[in-house]
Amino acid sequence: MIAPPLVTAGLTQELAAAVDELRRLTVQVRTRGAATGAGVLWDGGGSEGRGLVITNAHVVRGDRATIELNDGTTAPAHIVARDLKRDLAALEFQADRALISAVVRGSPPLRVGELVIAVGHPGGLAGAATLGIIHLAESEREGRTPRWIQADVRLAPGFSGGPLADATARLVGVNTMMHGSLALAVPAAAVEAWVRRAHALVAP
Amino acid sequence: MSTLLQSLSTELADAVQAAGRAVVAIHARRRIPASGVHWRPGVVVATSHTISRDENITVTLPDGITVPASLAGRDPSTDLAVLKLAGQSVPTARLRSDTPPTVGELVIALGRPGPSVTASWGVMSRVDGPWRTWQGAEIDSLLRLDLAIYDGFSGGPLIDAAGRVLGINTSGLARGLPVTIPVATVERVVTELLERGTIRRAYLGIGTQPVRVPESLAGKLELQGDVALLIVSLESGGPADRDGLLLGDVLLELDGTAVSDSADVLAMLGGDRVGRPLAARVIRGGQVKTLQVTPGERPKSRAA
Repeated sequence: MIAPPLVTAGLTQELAAAVDELRRLTVQVRTRGAATGAGVLWDGGGSEGRGLVITNAHVVRGDRATIELNDGTTAPAHIVARDLKRDLAALEFQADRALISAVVRGSPPLRVGELVIAVGHPGGLAGAATLGIIHLAESEREGRTPRWIQADVRLAPGFSGGPLADATARLVGVNTMMHGSLALAVPAAAVEAWVRRAHALVAP
Repeated sequence: MSTLLQSLSTELADAVQAAGRAVVAIHARRRIPASGVHWRPGVVVATSHTISRDENITVTLPDGITVPASLAGRDPSTDLAVLKLAGQSVPTARLRSDTPPTVGELVIALGRPGPSVTASWGVMSRVDGPWRTWQGAEIDSLLRLDLAIYDGFSGGPLIDAAGRVLGINTSGLARGLPVTIPVATVERVVTELLERGTIRRAYLGIGTQPVRVPESLAGKLELQGDVALLIVSLESGGPADRDGLLLGDVLLELDGTAVSDSADVLAMLGGDRVGRPLAARVIRGGQVKTLQVTPGERPKSRAA
């Protein structure tokens, strides 16, 4: 009898668990009935039931969209903030129950070669995942966040607006576009700062 | 929660960090810098096709300092170039020369197309025996990769999961596809370039084209194969011209080895053949004839 390869078996299980967790954080965004991309459950609603989804501005063109959660339930959502320069948009929806929220990785800083997982809906395939590594970690000597996280992970249209996470499923970025074979994601820290500023403007 | 996945992630980042200490950026072309590896103390290996000038070359070290470098030599046929740095205390690469990579092995390609190190990962997709580049150089083993190429990929090292260098990556030897020049070949070329500045290669000064020898003639002349090489160009005053080969001769064998492709000829023309006569068996005027041809040393930047 051949002994099962323990490390590979363990890795596979852990990867599947991390992807499962990320899928629950990843929504599908539809505008005018057509699936246009992915989104990250930034705030699962809590007591007031107002959920917040972050996606790319290029994923939602109009003011309204429909979001579909991982369990298949849908909710109407409206845009509360949009930034074309950063390619970010914030969508608000009424959550009928408390959902999970993304956990942003604040520290330690990303290292080149670290594993990253992306989840999205390429070609209508809901909850697809890819595994890659951090390609470039720009030095933060000047004390500012780099504009993009560059990852060696194969994305396709439909991953836009979805999460890029580390090996422990903490959010490191929002997948935005491909540059050759590299993926560019808006750093989670930049998203966090943007949400704080942009959302404060529209919050009651 | 996910301990194995996290460990793998940390180990990959550790490997990149450790090996990245010997990866430098090379400024010897316009726009984006290429990569290089600090191979021996004061000696940096890079790819020849990413070095477009012989002077005013600078190298950015892992600590961010940019220093001048001199081109010690280059070999377009293996796409390798050697640069020398003066008095630098950068660590040299840890080489893995004892065990060759295996198909399916996890590998990382590093680069430094600027101040920071970059990486892409993948697996070895093919590991094979010696092969010859289109310019006739012998590479000790064929190492093909399944990973993404990016700016600055060429000249960077391929490393294993422990951060040891398996060779130098280039997209310049296989029509843009990524291949790795193994450590053994790099060692050999570096030694020769440091000693001589060029890679010595023998040449005959002929251009050939494969032709099928008619069955009747092949039978009459008792030939083994039916494909031989028609000499379609002859460098005036070159070794073959000087030793009496003629335009229109059909080359059958060199030193008893049948030749049916220009690569077969190149295979007979290693650096050690310069000045050592070869027996050339040719068909001339319907008759088989054997001539002695003494290869000369190939002038720089000439193909055959």
